[in-house]
Amino acid sequence: MEEARIGVYVCWCGNNIAKMVDVELVTELIGKLPHVVVSKNYKYMCSDPGQELIAEDILEHNLNRVVVAACSPRIHELTFRKVLEKSGLNPYLFEMANIREQDSWVHDNREAATRKAVELVAGAISRVQYHEPLDKRSVGINPATLVIGGGVAGMSAALEVANAGREVYLLEKTEQLGGMVSHFDLTFPYLYDADKMLEVMIRRTINHPHIKVFYNTTISEVHGYIGNFETTIQSDSNQEQTLTFGNIIVATGLRPFDASRVGQYGYGRLPNVITSVEFEDLLRTGQVRTKEGNIPQNIAIIHCVGSRNTEFHEYCSRTCCQVALKFANQLRSLLPDSNIYDLYADMRAFGKGCEELYTATSKKEIIFMMFDQQHELPQIIKSVAPGDPPMLIFFREKISGLGLEIPADMIILMVGMEAHPDVKDIAHAVGISICSNAFFIEKHPKLDPVATTTSGVYIVGNCQGPKGIPDSVAQAKAAAARVLATINQGSVHVEVTTAEVNETLCCGCQTCIMVCPYTAIHYDREKKVSVVNEVLCKGCGTCGSTCPTGAIRSKHFTDQQILSQIDGLMKMALKIE
Amino acid sequence: MEFNPTIVAFLCNWCSYTGADLAGTSRMKYKPNVRVIRVMCSGRVDPTFVYKSFREGADGVLICGCHPGDCHYQEGNYKCLRRFKLMKKYITQMGIEPARLHLEWISASEGKQFAELIDSMTARIKELGPSKIKTVVETLAI
Amino acid sequence: MNNRVNPDLPRELREFGIRDWNECYHCGTCTAICPLTAQGFLFPRKTIRLMQMGLKDHLSTCVEPWLCYYCGECSEQCPRNANPGELMMSLRRYLTSLYDWTGLSKKFYTSKVWELAFIIIFAILVVLTFIFVLPPLDTTLTPQGGVKVNSFAPFHIIEYFDWAMAIVVAGLLVSNILRMYYRVVWQGTSNKVGLLDHIREFWHLIYNFVVQPKFSKCEDKSYWLYHWLLMSGYTIMFILIVVFLPWFQTEKIHPPWHLQRALGYYATIGLLIGLTAAIIGRLKKQEFKFQFSHVSDWLFLVMLTLTVITGILIHLFRVNGMPWATYVSYIAHMAILVPMILIEVPFSKWSHLAYRPFAVYFARLQKSAMTKTA
Repeated sequence: MEEARIGVYVCWCGNNIAKMVDVELVTELIGKLPHVVVSKNYKYMCSDPGQELIAEDILEHNLNRVVVAACSPRIHELTFRKVLEKSGLNPYLFEMANIREQDSWVHDNREAATRKAVELVAGAISRVQYHEPLDKRSVGINPATLVIGGGVAGMSAALEVANAGREVYLLEKTEQLGGMVSHFDLTFPYLYDADKMLEVMIRRTINHPHIKVFYNTTISEVHGYIGNFETTIQSDSNQEQTLTFGNIIVATGLRPFDASRVGQYGYGRLPNVITSVEFEDLLRTGQVRTKEGNIPQNIAIIHCVGSRNTEFHEYCSRTCCQVALKFANQLRSLLPDSNIYDLYADMRAFGKGCEELYTATSKKEIIFMMFDQQHELPQIIKSVAPGDPPMLIFFREKISGLGLEIPADMIILMVGMEAHPDVKDIAHAVGISICSNAFFIEKHPKLDPVATTTSGVYIVGNCQGPKGIPDSVAQAKAAAARVLATINQGSVHVEVTTAEVNETLCCGCQTCIMVCPYTAIHYDREKKVSVVNEVLCKGCGTCGSTCPTGAIRSKHFTDQQILSQIDGLMKMALKIE
Repeated sequence: MEFNPTIVAFLCNWCSYTGADLAGTSRMKYKPNVRVIRVMCSGRVDPTFVYKSFREGADGVLICGCHPGDCHYQEGNYKCLRRFKLMKKYITQMGIEPARLHLEWISASEGKQFAELIDSMTARIKELGPSKIKTVVETLAI
Repeated sequence: MNNRVNPDLPRELREFGIRDWNECYHCGTCTAICPLTAQGFLFPRKTIRLMQMGLKDHLSTCVEPWLCYYCGECSEQCPRNANPGELMMSLRRYLTSLYDWTGLSKKFYTSKVWELAFIIIFAILVVLTFIFVLPPLDTTLTPQGGVKVNSFAPFHIIEYFDWAMAIVVAGLLVSNILRMYYRVVWQGTSNKVGLLDHIREFWHLIYNFVVQPKFSKCEDKSYWLYHWLLMSGYTIMFILIVVFLPWFQTEKIHPPWHLQRALGYYATIGLLIGLTAAIIGRLKKQEFKFQFSHVSDWLFLVMLTLTVITGILIHLFRVNGMPWATYVSYIAHMAILVPMILIEVPFSKWSHLAYRPFAVYFARLQKSAMTKTA
């Protein structure tokens, strides 16, 4: 192995690291370690001048390894690898030490944080000496795309991709397209007709030459990787069909919360307590009537059913407040002499036109009353006194603190959104994860909300988190753009940190084959050794830690590299002690 | 002088390392005694890594991975769990207190749990005192 | 107390002048900015809340509307332009109609017809009384050249009449104050207020009645001054014509600096300054407090102004020896004054002369009850 000439760069990250870690001291101490040719620090390593600094040093000092101590490698590992590449070094001759998310941001003792930084960098330096150059690999891309879910998000994505001339397979669980929006009457805030919007979209989707819709179809196991996926579906006529595609867009949406879980609202017991979705269906008939066929005189709307409550779901479902305002407006138009009560925990009317909707609704003689979501939820009872309206809502009004009664003929529960019960199966099928609220997890909540950590799989619409139509459509089109960009590139880079077998050391025990979850290893009966299919290998490293002879090694996470990291780390720890 | 343990932790890239990063972006505070080594999957954690850590003087070793059923590579965490049980037995036989080796599942959204884990493990190791191997290594300077 | 939400109440209150009540979304800015809001008496937000929900029983126990002096700061700062100041004003009108057991107050506030009819009928009655009941005008002049006022308006008769009216009006007002007391202090507090507290706090009733210190808390202090001049002017006039009528309604023409004339002039000037300020304000509509004028607001101002003008005319014509002019002015003066007092003092805007100082007194009683529980 050539002698390592390591350049170490410690980042201030403005004040984020420097506030808690003595960056200068770290630079100084690390500079004294063997093989460290250059040890510098700079305010923002990821910036252009920061990257320039590394590039110049590589040339000037003939560096063959680089270590950057800064933020999490999950953020900038790729950035710095590109710097090495541009300067002529293999991008894998690089290691990062995380002294921000896992050091300066989580400790409040400067001395301890600095010591930890020094040890982590020492570990990285020790490790990087054993890094080897790895070649990038690319594979071709199947230009077809699979879209799972035929709601507004799914159709938007499918249309966007298909309009660019690429094939789309659209899987829909039910027997018709449209998803939740097919229940809606008018949309907020401008009160456009949902039917008209949807009708156009559905017609375009069904008639599109590049979109093939599969009804009553769910997704089961998907095999492969980006550019090369494959799955088998069971379509209508119970025939099996194998589909191949290069990218997947998951648009499976959410379902309404089951209001019967909130016992005190009486849903399921009292006939005129209905959910917002049921009320939309009622609005579509054009006539608002109670179950008995009467015109309601007192109508109450209750917000946050099943949302913002640790007993059910802690999150806010984002759209219900605006829908409630829309309902209040529509009720006032349809029943001008009625009494309308809006019981809210908070009024969240953000976004274009929504505050204006709230202000306009506030002029329509609707009584807005606030309750405390944490402490006393309203209680709905059937009234028994003659002459009383059919239902009474017992309710602690937050601002006055008084316990009040509200008469009601009809009560609309603004139910939140929650995940479908089969969301875990979908996640498994395509290889993505779900969070504690059972929404799919995006790659980065701020900077990459439609991609996932699995290349080639995108999540759009409600299944990524509750949102309204404009946001769902925006995400759908964003994912479609990403898919089209990938397809246009023609090929895509795949994982290089795969496993490889040293045939001399392999004893043919086949333990590695038994543990590989991707069946990426097969046994060569002639040579009596294991052989890795680097296209299927995902680089998890399970085989590496199973092999009794150390014949199989996980590239870039070899035993030697990790052991030396432990070594460098601990030697510095004991030295400083 | 107060005993400040050193805990070497192996965190899998997809869940636990991300969870630890989340604790950072949320500015949660925890004890500064852990040193993280990133692996792609908890299934990559070779027993030699664990023994090497103790050999070099670590007072505790922590392995974190995705929750069962959520492994990014399907089943790597199960393999890790099997290995972990064996490793526990082995280190006990070698004279290392089994409580010094710990396994916990941390998901990408569990920043708070990670912080609490480090605090509780640090406290536990503190009670156990410095590892005997460390004392030997230091005295003999080997 | 009835805790049933009643959306009919805000609709009912439209006739009392409320508008934009639905726009209030309880941000509390009005209460924060109000210079008079105090611990235990938070307004306007609380009262508007109760009104929006139609909680009539709760609202009738509120003394807060009377603690508001309509500086208009709340309306100026309201992010929704819900005009809380005007809502408080309407609530004052509403409460006035609640305290009144005859039901006439509500009629006068909500029906222009009733109000006008009442004025016209009483005006006519007054005119008829002068023409057919009281002695005719003696057109001969006094030795000084003044009109013989006491010929057609003998002061001992007018005096009885003044006293009778004062007693009726005071009686009505007192009965309404008792109803206010029952609601605010009896029903509105959970603890009973002791006799000692009643005695101890009584001073505040007098002080507030005379000085109106709360009015002076407004940023623009000139309104306190205008109002005080008006009030003191009127009070002096009231005492002169009820208690000292024989001395005041004299046929002698004193020199201008004589007390009889000086007091009269002070009262007149005070009234004129106050009235002018109010009328100009309501016409210009520049201040928030003058943006909206209910019929009852204008009626009071107009009638009082006419009373002052006719009063001036009486004096001018009397000292300058114009008997018929004096006669007509005097009748006009009484024809305006009588219905004005009968309507305004027990049933309408002028009732604030009693309700406001009593409100401060009752508020202090409520507070002493509250601090007892603490």
